[in-house]
Amino acid sequence: MFFLIEYFPILLLLFVSVGLASLILGASYFLGVQRPDTEKVSVYECGFDPYEDSRNKFDVRFYLVAILFIVFDLEALFLFPWAVSLGYLSSMGFWSMVDFLFELTIGFIYVWKIGALEWE
Amino acid sequence: MILFMDLVEFWNLNTAMDFSLLHQNYFKMFLPEVFMATSILILTLFASLIGTSRRLGYPLFIQSLIKLCILVLLITFLLVHNTSISFMLTYQNTFIFDLLSSNAKQILLIATISCLIVSEETILRHQINNFEYLILILSAVLGLLFLIISYDMLSLYLAIELQSLCLYVLAASKKDSSFSTEAGLKYFILGSFSSALLLFGISVLYGATGTTNFDNFYLLLSGIKLNDFLLTPSIEKGLLVIFAAFFFKIAAAPFHMWSPDVYEGSPTSSTIFFAVVPKLALFAVFLRLFQTIFSSFEETFSFALLFCSICSVIVGSFVSLRQKKLKRLLAYSSISHVGYLLLAFSANSLEGIQSLFFYLIIYMLTSLCIWSIVLSLDTKTNIERSKTLIDLASISHSNALVGFTALLAFFSLAGVPPLAGFFAKMEIFLAVLGSSLFFASLIAILSSVVSSFYYIRLIKTMYFEKKEENSYVFFVNRSCSLVMGSCLFFLVYFFVNPSFLLLLTQSMALCLF
Repeated sequence: MFFLIEYFPILLLLFVSVGLASLILGASYFLGVQRPDTEKVSVYECGFDPYEDSRNKFDVRFYLVAILFIVFDLEALFLFPWAVSLGYLSSMGFWSMVDFLFELTIGFIYVWKIGALEWE
Repeated sequence: MILFMDLVEFWNLNTAMDFSLLHQNYFKMFLPEVFMATSILILTLFASLIGTSRRLGYPLFIQSLIKLCILVLLITFLLVHNTSISFMLTYQNTFIFDLLSSNAKQILLIATISCLIVSEETILRHQINNFEYLILILSAVLGLLFLIISYDMLSLYLAIELQSLCLYVLAASKKDSSFSTEAGLKYFILGSFSSALLLFGISVLYGATGTTNFDNFYLLLSGIKLNDFLLTPSIEKGLLVIFAAFFFKIAAAPFHMWSPDVYEGSPTSSTIFFAVVPKLALFAVFLRLFQTIFSSFEETFSFALLFCSICSVIVGSFVSLRQKKLKRLLAYSSISHVGYLLLAFSANSLEGIQSLFFYLIIYMLTSLCIWSIVLSLDTKTNIERSKTLIDLASISHSNALVGFTALLAFFSLAGVPPLAGFFAKMEIFLAVLGSSLFFASLIAILSSVVSSFYYIRLIKTMYFEKKEENSYVFFVNRSCSLVMGSCLFFLVYFFVNPSFLLLLTQSMALCLF
């Protein structure tokens, strides 16, 4: 319609990523040695069977931990680009992040005091 | 806090005098918001340290926290009231300060203070002992203040998210009630759906124009013939999607399904906040967007606007005829009032916008009055269940003054002459007729006749029906009755002498043209 040429790099990225992913997956599928047994194909890391009835109850504490993880993970997400570009920023940029960390710390104190970090 | 650091930095760098003065003004303009954000942080810290202290025996301090919140809101109001600069764009034109924003902020803060005063007794009676409840109300108000002054799509979106995230939690705050949890979940799902729509619309506009700033949109579109402009179709699509999100947020008719359930399920002390406060901020910012910035596109959205307003008026009037629950009925009645507001918006004239603000302020006054009566309907026997219409029965005997207040407030909502509601409605219809929307105004007038039926039926229940059981009525405390009384006074006073309110709303409406 208009300015579609601007999106050409994204199209290129799409092709490259699809190509690379299928190359890696295909190579490991066709070239690798496959001897599956029960222990190897079982679920690991999260502990839940992905193919079962989804209307199971599980403890609300898992959600809490996940939410807290997101909050404190986002902090790192903000910190990395800030740290890389700190040289170009004025002191305003520096103090904004200090302010952000300060407010995050207040949130952390709240979470700690309210007892959300205690498992039992 | 950021702004303060900014100020310090400019002093340290010893830059040119006019530049540092500019930043001093930034700080002055943001002082209310900075004050409020800082006090929210301090209150959070204070409450989480005191409330969990074993040495003090885990004290309940919800009543003193309510007083502190009222104090914070009052000081913020004074700070807004005393800002001297009448027009300013700050932070790369992300925020705007003009008469509209400062007046809207003041009205919003007063409304929140009255809501807190009115619902204090109920919060204590229903034992909402989480201090987060009040912190969330304050954060929602902070989000609304930022929403009113936002002049960029990004700040608008962030402010909307701040306030709506707080409102979702407020709806779900009664954790042991499944209705409240359901209300919170419904509100969250539909609210985030509408936020997604808003974000999609913003991204379409950004894709078409390459900017998110209101000022840049205005400059880009000024003096352009829309018919042979390359970007017209995509801007139109983006605007319509943003419109849908706006209708979701204010609960206009085809997008209203969440509002009765949320009003019904959430605790009444949250419902009064949802019903009274957020509409003004949403209207202020979206009127700025559609009436000022994208005014050249008004042919595109005038049909959608008229359609939604007529839909809301009809749905609100006819569906509430069948409602048995009091809060559901009031939710549908608020949908029909949103319909009148949108009708005034679609008149697309200065008189229309002025009558919109006039109606909105009168509606806030009336609904504050009515919801405080709903809050005072608790008795020893019905405290746990949701109120039905029969709970209003014989209130004129049990508490004659509350009954009389309710009578006048419902008459004002229906638009009966010696009250401000009549004046507001008449002004809207005059503005709409001035823009030659005859058929729409005919439908709206006929529906308002229908809606006056159920207001009068409520009055009949209050005055002429007997309750079988006699139960102990809780007593309305002094500050709550003061708020109710002053709302009632203004409802009568603005009919006799509306010049103050007319001047106020005109100064707000003039900012949009």
